[in-house]
Amino acid sequence: MTQSNQAIEHLDPEQLNAFIDGELSADVAQGVQQHLDGCHHCALRVLGAMQMKAATARVGQRYTPSAEALSRLTARLRPQAPEPNEHIVPFRTVSSRHVALWSAVAAAILLTISLAGWQQIHQAHTLTAELLDQHLATLSSGAAPQVISTDRHTVKPWFQGRLPFSFNLPEPDALPPDTALQGADLVYLEGRPAALLIFSIHKHTVSVFVTQRTSAFSIAPHSTRSGFSVRSATAGEIRLIAVSNVNPAELDALVRDFAKVQ
Amino acid sequence: MFPIQAHALRSILQARLSISYPEDHRPMLSSDRSATFEQLALPLLPSLYNHACWLSRDQAEAEDLVQETLSKALRAFDSFQAGTNFKAWIFRILRNTFLTSRTGMTISHTVFLEDHPHLLETDDASPTPEDHLIRLDNQAVVREALEQLQAPLREVILLCDVEELKYKDIALVLDVPIGTVMSRLSRARRTLYQLLQPQFPETL
Repeated sequence: MTQSNQAIEHLDPEQLNAFIDGELSADVAQGVQQHLDGCHHCALRVLGAMQMKAATARVGQRYTPSAEALSRLTARLRPQAPEPNEHIVPFRTVSSRHVALWSAVAAAILLTISLAGWQQIHQAHTLTAELLDQHLATLSSGAAPQVISTDRHTVKPWFQGRLPFSFNLPEPDALPPDTALQGADLVYLEGRPAALLIFSIHKHTVSVFVTQRTSAFSIAPHSTRSGFSVRSATAGEIRLIAVSNVNPAELDALVRDFAKVQ
Repeated sequence: MFPIQAHALRSILQARLSISYPEDHRPMLSSDRSATFEQLALPLLPSLYNHACWLSRDQAEAEDLVQETLSKALRAFDSFQAGTNFKAWIFRILRNTFLTSRTGMTISHTVFLEDHPHLLETDDASPTPEDHLIRLDNQAVVREALEQLQAPLREVILLCDVEELKYKDIALVLDVPIGTVMSRLSRARRTLYQLLQPQFPETL
């Protein structure tokens, strides 16, 4: 077996763990890296440990709540939400009380409808802000996406087990001219996991968010916010939202081609 | 330039990365506070559920556990300290909720390794390169190994590898010193290696 040609001792198990878990300070990690460069034995151990970490991470993500369970849990986050008005009053009362009762019911219904309407507008507004924030985060140089790859065969499988749905990526030659996949990331929109695909069109960066289509939220197909165009389309169970400052017609073309392959 | 976005970006980052509040964090109105709680907790629901399933080994019980955890966390949200990791905080509540549940009471009788230092003695040298010829390609085998692991060992692996918590946050969740986290993790991985190579029992 090839042994270290350096006088440094092999990594002890805790050092090795701390290294693969990113727990070492930069200079200590650099020292370990230098040791690994010269020590085949430890390099293999690190490789094995990293592979096992990846394997347990995959296998450990095993249980997903059903949609019903998730909505029950989500409901628990809002204890102050008004109870549904189902136990109002028995109906055998004098007619003047009927009037009062029906007025109360009508008022409650109106209030519910207007609250729902307000909430939807509010949520659409929040969603656009979230999208733009995510896009701006993508543009900032410090935030590299988790997957940096132009190969759709690398990017798509990466989402397996990370998203509760699947989607298709267009082939490179099915994309509009000078448009290329750059990478991908897992993000959360409205608290749900979503795929963020980063494309480039010419020199512009485009964020395409792929989420499950939910009836509760809607976003206008075309909108603009702070100078960025936001385009939305749905295809089957999938909702696509693209954000960029590229020419809106080119953004439309990308969204169209993306929706076509779903 | 983007005043609204800056604010929203901070909340998203808090939710995504569980990073700390700014230092000038002031007590908020009740509705704001519960909105913040929702923003922080909502993205964690799938993780909490997954972890609760691993702890209780029962999906129906896991949902009850998460429900109770959320209620407790919401009630105790005032005590959540700005500048600390929300994920670690709520996972700690989940764990304590589990330990006081019926299943948890039974399982907590499981021997904790640190109480029996001889179990931690590493007379076995660190794995040789050949030890790494383990079957990681077969998910079923890895899953089985993870299931066979003692509960405290599995727990630390899940918190580290699946939940990607830092050692100091794992220490907070498990309520043990960081050194214990490291030794438990080391032991857990060593045991997993052993479980994954039944074809070479003599190398153990």
